[in-house]
Amino acid sequence: MKDILLWQTRHFIYNHFADTTRPPSVDETAAHFNIPTEEATEYYKELHNRHTFFLDLETLTVRMANPFSGIPTDFKVHANGKTYFANCAWDMLGIPAALHADAVIEAVCTESGEKVEIEIRDENLRSTNYDLRIHFPLPFARWYDDLVFT
Amino acid sequence: MLLFQSEAWIDKWCKRNNLPRGEVLTIDQVWELSKLWYHNRLSLEYHGRSAEQVAEVFREAGLKSEFWYV
Repeated sequence: MKDILLWQTRHFIYNHFADTTRPPSVDETAAHFNIPTEEATEYYKELHNRHTFFLDLETLTVRMANPFSGIPTDFKVHANGKTYFANCAWDMLGIPAALHADAVIEAVCTESGEKVEIEIRDENLRSTNYDLRIHFPLPFARWYDDLVFT
Repeated sequence: MLLFQSEAWIDKWCKRNNLPRGEVLTIDQVWELSKLWYHNRLSLEYHGRSAEQVAEVFREAGLKSEFWYV
């Protein structure tokens, strides 16, 4: 395993998310770097083990490359003419922060189900509801115990 | 991390799910934290953070309670 290619793989996956709103398959990554699929598979597994991103259980599909989600969620972020899904309420703000872009975020209150819209423009946040709160259920030391729950 | 319209809705959610209340931040606090946490995520040079670097981000964001201990 080549360390340079490991980090280039991480970079490719994140920027593929940013460019297309979805993660590349392991075959797409192998083709991009002109390497065997088996080698790209090793990089995917190693990056998963290092908590760089997270694969769906027993697959090579990227489920979370925070702040990006590989599956639809209640946290929809419109930015750069695209629509992304975020993993959680923190990550919905993480997407415009990572992209350094303006964004309109559509989300819902977890308990009431009411729709909420948030706008990021020129790094400033605007919302029709400034009582909005984000609940962190677990202390930082336990975030990786169960990432989906966190 | 979950979004709520107000603190009252968090209390209802915790009660309904029989879960303890964790840490609650305003949307503005989380936006400031997001900028510190994610600003370099697309960079080739980003290889993750050490525990010290995580603690520094939390300090910069003003998150100093035991909840944020690394």
